[in-house]
Amino acid sequence: MVARKPLVELSGIWKIYDGGVEVQALRGVDLRIYPGEYVAIMGPSGSGKSTLMHILGLLDSPTRGSYLLAGEEVSKLSPARLATLRNRFIGFVFQAFNLLPRASVLRNVELPLLYAGVPGRERRERAMAMLARVGLADHAKHLPAQLSGGQRQRAAIARALVTEPSVLLADEPTGNLDQTTGAEIMGLFDELSSQGQTVVLVTHDPQVAAHARRLVRLVDGRIAEDTGVA
Amino acid sequence: MLAALLADAFADVRAYGTRTALQTVGVVLGVASVVATLGLSAGQRAKSMEFWQETGGTLKVLVYPKPLEAVRLAARERSSKGLTLADAAAIRERLSGFDLVATAVRKPFWVRSWLAQKRLPVTGITPAWGEFHGLTLARGRFFTDQDMQTAAPVCVLGAERAREFFGSEDAVGRVLRVGDHALVVVGVLTLREFYWSRADSWNALSWINELVLVPATTLTRRYLRSGSDQVDEIALRLASAEAHERAVPALRALLVARHGAEDFEIFDRQDRIQQMEQQGKVYDITFLVCGLISLLVGGIVVANIMLASFTERMREVGVRKAIGAKGWQIFLQFLVETIVVNGLGGVLGLAVGVGFVHGVAVLLDQAAVLTPTMILAAVGCAVSVAVVFGLFPAWKAARMDPVVALRYE
Repeated sequence: MVARKPLVELSGIWKIYDGGVEVQALRGVDLRIYPGEYVAIMGPSGSGKSTLMHILGLLDSPTRGSYLLAGEEVSKLSPARLATLRNRFIGFVFQAFNLLPRASVLRNVELPLLYAGVPGRERRERAMAMLARVGLADHAKHLPAQLSGGQRQRAAIARALVTEPSVLLADEPTGNLDQTTGAEIMGLFDELSSQGQTVVLVTHDPQVAAHARRLVRLVDGRIAEDTGVA
Repeated sequence: MLAALLADAFADVRAYGTRTALQTVGVVLGVASVVATLGLSAGQRAKSMEFWQETGGTLKVLVYPKPLEAVRLAARERSSKGLTLADAAAIRERLSGFDLVATAVRKPFWVRSWLAQKRLPVTGITPAWGEFHGLTLARGRFFTDQDMQTAAPVCVLGAERAREFFGSEDAVGRVLRVGDHALVVVGVLTLREFYWSRADSWNALSWINELVLVPATTLTRRYLRSGSDQVDEIALRLASAEAHERAVPALRALLVARHGAEDFEIFDRQDRIQQMEQQGKVYDITFLVCGLISLLVGGIVVANIMLASFTERMREVGVRKAIGAKGWQIFLQFLVETIVVNGLGGVLGLAVGVGFVHGVAVLLDQAAVLTPTMILAAVGCAVSVAVVFGLFPAWKAARMDPVVALRYE
């Protein structure tokens, strides 16, 4: 199941914020993630897990170190190039869902394809197919506010997956959901993983992390524990 | 892809109805005021031109005597007889640029018919004078060359005078006593009316209706007999508008040379047109500046609301970037939104402005003119204001760091 070439390869990643006081958010992180892996990144707040997720998700660039994504060095790219790679390789799922409130569920899911330059008809078909896959085909025309929390997160997952990204990055995906709904969403991640989707969860919740097959624990900007490739 | 991005921005404009409406108001008012002021001032000028066309066109030049104050007169000036037939003849011979030269002499006489009797100014004219002032006949004929040569005892009456002296009867062929002579009425002029507005009760062409005209020779030979060739008016028509620049100064120079002083006044319609256009321009510029200021205010409102909505939508920008929007795509989205909103405002403002112009035209009975150029200018202004004021927020959004934008609460 595990391929030989890593999808993500971080070596000696440092992230230093210098806003008057120097903050070392990441201090030499090495991490390899192979295609098909189901990884949970855990750590207390301030451990640097959000920073790591931002760097993994190409939202931010490391101060030092190398990041190979699918074999390409991405640590020094321009914002526009990063946007393109983000669109192609990364699917984001947020704690607060982050759906555009004024756009229908369908428009939300279509949006990444729009930025990818996919033509209208294909965009619609792919978005509808993805909504069907997360069980929201009947809610395509609704506004996010008309959906329940669980449905919103499903819509957000559909949006993250519609471009068929290499990595699905989820940041506390159950943080705004009740126990039952949270369990349903985690079930969806498990299902996606079993279908071969690479999933990276960022969480502080051991119950959520338990779903993953590999646990990476971050303390003070360093990897303190890595259960290793399954 | 561009079309899809535009469609997306459009969808957003629709989704944010209230904000769109607020943004529009400033532009609506700005465009409306520009359109309204331009329309009204153009309407005023069109009305003046209409009046001039009614009374012999825009190429008229009139010369009237203007007596100088006696104490200051030099000997040579005292010898001047004012405007004379000889002046008119000199103009005809020596000046190019005029294609019509006519004279008029006015003297008061008792005018009597069986119906009425009144002391009135009687005008002795050369035949070209009628053409010059754009006079037309309702009945009968105008003076002939033979009338002029023989100083025929004939007259032509304005419509009002004909009614006054002959009531509802046809005046043509009837006899009117003017001073010591009996004159045959050979023609009656068309009744003329021109009101500056419908509410206005003053007929600007009533002077035509009140004319009593006789051939110039009839007046000088039969009535004045003094041999004086003084005239009260020399009427000239420019051959073309282009001739104006040279012909009028030449006219002034010639008359000053003949009289030894400027004891006359020149009324020159080309000159008036130029003055009017100058004044019109001043008005237009003033109004335009006012309109542009309101557009500017509208633009600032637009920028303000965009900036406010921008903080409100910071997260949205972050999300869009997270799912792969490039800077220019965000920029385009924001810019399209402003352009659409302001274009809409421009069109609405146009409607309001046009409505206002017509409303004023009806209420105050003012003339109003709207040209496609004005309309294009107004809408163009609104859109360019939008672009200018939309650029900054759009640029700010485009440059947003996605991590910062996502964290924004």
